[in-house]
Amino acid sequence: MPGGAGNETVKHFIKEEMPKGIPGCPKNVDKKEEIPKGIPGCPKCVDKKEEMRMEKKKYSIKEDFSMLALLIIPVGVAVNFVGGQLASLLKLPMYLDTIGTIFASMLCGPWVGAVTGALTNIVTGIANPVNFAFIPVNVLAGLVTGFLARGKMFSVWWKWILSMLIMAVVSIVSSAPIVVLVYGGVTGSGTSLITAAAMAAGANIWAAFFGTEGIFTVLDRIISFLICWAVIKVIPARTLVKFGCGSNYIKEK
Amino acid sequence: MEKSYIEKIQIHKTNKVAGLHPATKFLVVIMYTICTFVLSSVSLTKIDLPLLAIPWFLVVLLLCAASGALKKCLKALKAVVFIALIIFVVQTFLVPGGEVLVRFGILRICEKGLRTAVSLSFMILDIAGIFVWLFQTTENKEISRALEESGMNYKAAYVFTSTLQMINILSDNSKTIMNAQRARGVETEGNMFIRAKAFFPTLVPLVLGAVMGSEERVLTLEARGFSMQGEKTHLFNLEKSGAEGTFKAVSILITVLVVVGRIALWIL
Amino acid sequence: MDIIMECKNVTYSYPLTKKPAIKELNLKLERGKFYGVIGENGSGKTTLCAVLRGFAPSFYKGEIEGEVLVEGKKIGEYGGELAKKIGFVFQNPFTQISGVKDTVFEEVAYGLENFGVPAGEIERRVIDVMRMTDIEHLAEKSPFELSGGQMQRVALASVIVLEPDLLIIDEPTSQLDPEGTESVFAIIQKMKEKHKTIVLVEHKIDLIAEYADEVLVFKDGAMIASGDKKEILSDMSLLEQGAALPQVAILGRKLQEKGLPLSTIPVTEKQAVEVIAEALKERKR
Repeated sequence: MPGGAGNETVKHFIKEEMPKGIPGCPKNVDKKEEIPKGIPGCPKCVDKKEEMRMEKKKYSIKEDFSMLALLIIPVGVAVNFVGGQLASLLKLPMYLDTIGTIFASMLCGPWVGAVTGALTNIVTGIANPVNFAFIPVNVLAGLVTGFLARGKMFSVWWKWILSMLIMAVVSIVSSAPIVVLVYGGVTGSGTSLITAAAMAAGANIWAAFFGTEGIFTVLDRIISFLICWAVIKVIPARTLVKFGCGSNYIKEK
Repeated sequence: MEKSYIEKIQIHKTNKVAGLHPATKFLVVIMYTICTFVLSSVSLTKIDLPLLAIPWFLVVLLLCAASGALKKCLKALKAVVFIALIIFVVQTFLVPGGEVLVRFGILRICEKGLRTAVSLSFMILDIAGIFVWLFQTTENKEISRALEESGMNYKAAYVFTSTLQMINILSDNSKTIMNAQRARGVETEGNMFIRAKAFFPTLVPLVLGAVMGSEERVLTLEARGFSMQGEKTHLFNLEKSGAEGTFKAVSILITVLVVVGRIALWIL
Repeated sequence: MDIIMECKNVTYSYPLTKKPAIKELNLKLERGKFYGVIGENGSGKTTLCAVLRGFAPSFYKGEIEGEVLVEGKKIGEYGGELAKKIGFVFQNPFTQISGVKDTVFEEVAYGLENFGVPAGEIERRVIDVMRMTDIEHLAEKSPFELSGGQMQRVALASVIVLEPDLLIIDEPTSQLDPEGTESVFAIIQKMKEKHKTIVLVEHKIDLIAEYADEVLVFKDGAMIASGDKKEILSDMSLLEQGAALPQVAILGRKLQEKGLPLSTIPVTEKQAVEVIAEALKERKR
């Protein structure tokens, strides 16, 4: 559907300007296909192209942080936390602790996602301050996912796979310098022991890190994304439209 | 007369260190961190080990003990110590470079390895340690209030506080859902694929429930005047222990001395 | 007549829908009256609450036509201040929590903090409301440890403490057990005694019959009947429209048809006992 997040205000604007009682002027702009073309005097029919151009520009950070978005941030952080807990409970070789960040970014865009990511590491840092060092990784994860979501990069299968790879690469590339430079390549988690073993076997510290982290990070992103997708699929359309990027996931009927 | 409810929700601390205003504690943390970086840059012994970072950690322990929270802090420090230890061992044995100091069979300790090991692991121990002190002697409620006091937007402060509660709620919910799914025959043991599959029936309902709940939470907050303009009242207020001035002065003084000492070492 | 709220030809549709959820609604709410709202599921009762509180369209988006006026002023012009005028309580007790407070006392006080009321006054008002809603013994408990019924009382208390002129209550007991239902209605009764204007959506028709002054009947988004509760609840033609009527009213009508000379159609159990007893006495004579 072409009606992105930003057209709400545009719609209101147009509604107020709209002279009443023009015969045949559709009330609902969302249903583009039903709009009969060229009814004279109906502003909605005249500048459809104009309107779409306005939408493109109309992402403001302030509007991204709606009341609902503000409440999704705590949920996202908690989901990150629970996901991580659950992954270690099920003894999975992945962290799965960015599900909430990805979810928030997919629904509310990059900035809300970035805040969710940062807050996750701040809050878990209260218990273990080592997590503070990874704030940039989670912020980037939120930003990248959010921009992919806005670019509707989850709509077709090949875009989807590309997005997964981009997300994984960004995560590895952004965490690698932190892990290698701050921690010398080892953070004490399961996968980092494999890194250590590879290093012992003579592999270069960077190569060791990329090799082991790489596979699991891609898997991590795929599982995380599938969970978010499964949830978004079952959120009713009526709720989805309230989120900044929500209308991207509503199927045209 | 019985205490009023407002009185009951205040936090009174008898300990002068633990009861420091969070902003003062934060200043101490910043000053300590600066000192840590400066001290780690001082190389001692003939193989240039940054040994000063090791005794510097005693300051953390001292602060924890003075706050009367040594036990609690040590418990929280465990995770940090574990990470520091792994880093220490891995770096010591794995990083090549410089002279070989010791050799046991295939394992060897090189000069460069030992140097990074000491500097990395104690830097982490020190910095993470001082944060452990801050957070173990300050309640979440105090942190939230301090953030608001420092001029943070009420919406941002709400998000922070609500996050801390939400984590507890969702953790509890996830346990409930997981047990229910187990009872319905979802397998949580077996090969990795089976275990990874068990992830879905737990997390999907959890996230969905939380999202739908947020929608209603917006209505609740609006009904309680969340977006009301104007000054808000705060029933919970931070207290000062009286030692704020001393702590600020001492921490700044020490930092200045450390920095001056470091510069003097350079010049001389 | 003192009108607190007025809907002028209001039609509202949710986003992505073609069919309006509220159709051409004209409604005047008189100050101090208790309005019961009935109708089958999906008839627009909850949407009505959202429109009256201004959440539709401000939060739900969608399109609205017509005017909603609160004390003569357009509802959209109030913004956040509307919380002072209109109290809002809905079905799910577990989501009606601020999410930032550790005790029930603080939870109830949260709205007053937002209003900027002085601390001493907050303490006094919160204690009064906690007594009235019978939650004072829970004051120091965490809001998350409560049962559904207790939580719904906390939700009511948190809104009542703000002293709004109008209370909108949407199916407050649909997720509660009988005991919880009773405790919630005890509070609603007290609010009625205080002459608050109340709009209550409730499936349990007997409760409406007992508490309401006026009844509004909805079907497919349209208000098909409204007026004095005795009149509406004894109107058998509404049964065909899918509205539920009190069992005693149906019984009364049937008895009348069978020839028992009832002076009036009862709508509550108490009335039924009186009216039938009277009619039976009459017959014996």
